[in-house]
Amino acid sequence: MHRDLPCGMDATMSALDRRTFLKRMAVAAAAGAVATPREDGATARAPDEAQAGVTWNKAPCVLCGVGCGLLVGIQKGRAVGVRGDPDSPVSRGLACAKGYHSVQTLYGRDRITRALVRQNGTLAAVPLDQALDLVARRLRETIDRHGRNSVGIYGSAEWTIPDAYVAAKFCRGALGTHHLDTSARLFTASAAAGLDSTFGGRGPVGSYDDIDHADVFVLWNVNLAETDPVLFSRMLTRKRRNPAVRIIELATRTTRTSYASDLSLIFKPQTELAIANALSQEIVARDAANHDFIDQHVAFKRGKTGIGYGLNDDLAVDGDGVDASWNDYKAFLAAYTPERAQQLSGVSADSIRFLASLYADRSRKVMTAWGDAVNQHVRGTWLNNLLYNVHLLTGKIASPGNAALCLTGQPGTGIAYSAGAEAGSLPRGATQHEEDRQRAARIWGVPADRIEPQAGPTALQMFRALERGDIRMLWIQRTNPMAALPDQARYARAAAREDRFIVVSEAYPTATTDVADIVLPGALWIERDGIVVNAEGRPQHFAQMVPPPADAASDAWLMIEVARRLGHGALFPWQRPQLVEQIWEEYRKFTPEADQQVPSFTDLRVQAGVTRPAVQRYSAPADPAADRARGAFDFYGHADHRAWIWMRLFEPAAESPDREYPFWFTTGSVLEHWGTGTLTRRVPALHRAVPSAYLEINRDDARSLGIANRDTVRVVSRRGSIEIEARIDFRGQPPRGLVFAPAFDEAHPVARLLLDAVCPISGQPEARCAVRVERLTPRGQV
Amino acid sequence: MRRRDPAPRPLSARLLVIGVAVVAMLGAIVAVERLTNRAPATAEQPDAFLALPQEPIAYEADVFLTHEATIDGPDVRRRASAHPRSLATYRRLRAFPGAPPRVPHGLTSAELRATTCNTCHERGGYSQRFGAYAPLTPHPELPACLQCHVVDAVVTGTSLPIAPDDRCRQCHAPGMQASSAPALDWESAPWPQVRRPAIEGDPPPIPHHLEFRGNCLACHMGPNAVAEIRTTHPERTSCRQCHVRLDDAVPEYVRPAVAVRAGSGGAP
Repeated sequence: MHRDLPCGMDATMSALDRRTFLKRMAVAAAAGAVATPREDGATARAPDEAQAGVTWNKAPCVLCGVGCGLLVGIQKGRAVGVRGDPDSPVSRGLACAKGYHSVQTLYGRDRITRALVRQNGTLAAVPLDQALDLVARRLRETIDRHGRNSVGIYGSAEWTIPDAYVAAKFCRGALGTHHLDTSARLFTASAAAGLDSTFGGRGPVGSYDDIDHADVFVLWNVNLAETDPVLFSRMLTRKRRNPAVRIIELATRTTRTSYASDLSLIFKPQTELAIANALSQEIVARDAANHDFIDQHVAFKRGKTGIGYGLNDDLAVDGDGVDASWNDYKAFLAAYTPERAQQLSGVSADSIRFLASLYADRSRKVMTAWGDAVNQHVRGTWLNNLLYNVHLLTGKIASPGNAALCLTGQPGTGIAYSAGAEAGSLPRGATQHEEDRQRAARIWGVPADRIEPQAGPTALQMFRALERGDIRMLWIQRTNPMAALPDQARYARAAAREDRFIVVSEAYPTATTDVADIVLPGALWIERDGIVVNAEGRPQHFAQMVPPPADAASDAWLMIEVARRLGHGALFPWQRPQLVEQIWEEYRKFTPEADQQVPSFTDLRVQAGVTRPAVQRYSAPADPAADRARGAFDFYGHADHRAWIWMRLFEPAAESPDREYPFWFTTGSVLEHWGTGTLTRRVPALHRAVPSAYLEINRDDARSLGIANRDTVRVVSRRGSIEIEARIDFRGQPPRGLVFAPAFDEAHPVARLLLDAVCPISGQPEARCAVRVERLTPRGQV
Repeated sequence: MRRRDPAPRPLSARLLVIGVAVVAMLGAIVAVERLTNRAPATAEQPDAFLALPQEPIAYEADVFLTHEATIDGPDVRRRASAHPRSLATYRRLRAFPGAPPRVPHGLTSAELRATTCNTCHERGGYSQRFGAYAPLTPHPELPACLQCHVVDAVVTGTSLPIAPDDRCRQCHAPGMQASSAPALDWESAPWPQVRRPAIEGDPPPIPHHLEFRGNCLACHMGPNAVAEIRTTHPERTSCRQCHVRLDDAVPEYVRPAVAVRAGSGGAP
């Protein structure tokens, strides 16, 4: 790895010596083994001869957003092993530590298997029917007393499409409440808003297949080695096959990904906007813009400025997107010289010029990838826009190896929106659009005026409504907001108020079941049928392979049971075991027949994931929805059939370090855990690998504070504090002035520190703030 | 009458046979190397090896992945391993058959970040640091080792040993074997059992699946191998020439009856 220094790009292969030859042969052979379906029967979905009675069935892994294909070994009604599915176009037989141990997440001894109702302060087991009766009765009473918007559902980024679709129909079609959103809001909302504003559609513009074709990978603030390990391996394979491939990383701290990169550019948090604009400025200054592409396929838009930070639900974003011209855009970029970006970000102007030269080089195919950290930004939507800008300026998009792809960390990527469970959405539509409401009412068989016409509150707004008392009853499903929401203590207090009623469906005890009045036992993964969608927009089906424990059931089924108790049974005529297929067929009615984007259930069941219409969205030869008469590309999402380049300013963060709180605090993931660790902490190997959160701190900062490695320190923000073990030169190495702690550990709720500022366009909360670090147990100097 | 055992072949003769085989093999490698080395690939133009992955036969080449290590093999007479591997230790590190094993030893922070595992595990050999022979990885082409192999936290971020006794603490740190994980109601898939071959004396079939484990010698050869499954004949590197995988799911071959012609077949 070279840090902040342009590396030699003219490296050529030296003559092969014997060792190189053997290594190449080995690499090629192994790569072939990964890439080629194996023909020796090792992967047959059939009983294994050496493990009598074990049958293997396909299922996508749901412990991140990559969607790796797994083969799950089943014996005597229990999952007993996992193998990578060589037939999976996503992972080609590989998995990661989470995937290989995924089946063990089903078998934690503290699994919630019975319904629990709080009685005298403690949760006591009751029959499931009794708990469902109680949920239905409380819903009816709350709506009668406080109105239909006094109830809501906060769903999960782990939801399957059937879960999300049933939630949409239940909330919007049956109850008539507009309080419905999911935890995907915390991870991917800015990516969705970025796609919407740049392309006029939510479909990702690129796919994993681009990894096999790109010459340059630009990783924006994503520790791919830990967040998307299988894609990281695929990228390394690409680099090994073609040594000319380069990996350039922009990050706020040095990580495992940095060591695999040719160049690691460490920037100050929140300054990505300046860097991205400087890249565009440099491309324009070099006269390297692809004017043919721009003239034919791009329009320019001036963005609204001064949109605030959403701290008081003041999401004033109307009027965004005034028409502009190429000359307007050039004039806008003039302020973003590499030197100015260097001043703001700490990344050298030379490095920015070098990176711009890679985008500008027409002989190189460039893939830009990013993850949650780009989205968890008070200007997350803007930043997504700016990353697309660079590709649109150079015409490097929607062709093999030229892609800009958000790699999100959730298996339910895009599900909430497409199924209508995102705030303000309907299945493949929006509540604000009269036409979409009419269509939903027609398909559902409900009065159109039952569907609230306004854009519904987003996740954080819902919890603020809970705090105010606008929401009196909230059903939280398979997610852990009481550990994940920024300013966590504030919203935990709101949920614990006496006159709030909280229902939680969950598989294990969490910080959120701690505040629940009723806990419903949730079925996990292969304990039910499901369909999930990965970060490249590929829906994947999995069949039920093992029975859920005791009374546990899917969220879809639990909601249907409550709806029937409320007299809405006619809306949900489906029965198990065909439940998922029946839901899917109704969901497909929201897609015009000419639009082939929703595959048939048969295709889904048989194939290891289906992408339609094509992995190269907007590419006229590949995407059947694209109009060939418009040339090689057709950005049909916008009415003008153009992708939009946005003018987005650099604006500072809602909160930055100062004298009192001198450190940047950032959070994120480790490879071994996912989310708040509800599932992965039950797996012994994963738990023992990273049993608790820790604080990464720079060696020099630690020395100046008198902190030794493994000392317990207190991290304090304006919202609260946590006590945590300090680690120096550990997994990650932050630069001076920045500390990092992973977010999987409820015992160290790092979300308590965070400011609940959001991107006003997407409603996605920020994941950085200012803190100070205090020494608690000094054991000497470093 | 007692039958006389045949006279054992002299050591020098056996060495001669092995030597000839090794020389022939090296000769073949050098010849292929020269053929492929005529035009070194440039950075812009991928070399010819990239064509190989498309060939299904390439999967079989896994067998030879660490052939080089076989040739240059570690000097087994030099040291006795402080930690001979057994099936018991092998299984203790895996959640179920086929699961990636946990890393049983400490890693420095730098190793944790830079993933330098292949330094030891690509070629094997004796490790002073751990007093043991390093097991060979069957898939050295996958360098992101920690993607699948996790390290116990108590030995994560350890220091390199200075004193001889320190090396023990690289693995046997206090709490290393203590389980603080929540209890798991887990039943693993059964561990593969070697079957008796159909004919006595035949090579036994392969009892496990081969994904990422197609390189037989990585696990079955040399002092780093698990004792119970160590091959007696590592010099025969084309293992799957004799050892095959059987699949009970495949029914026995029965030729379907096909009516090719109508009539009586020319009979009067």
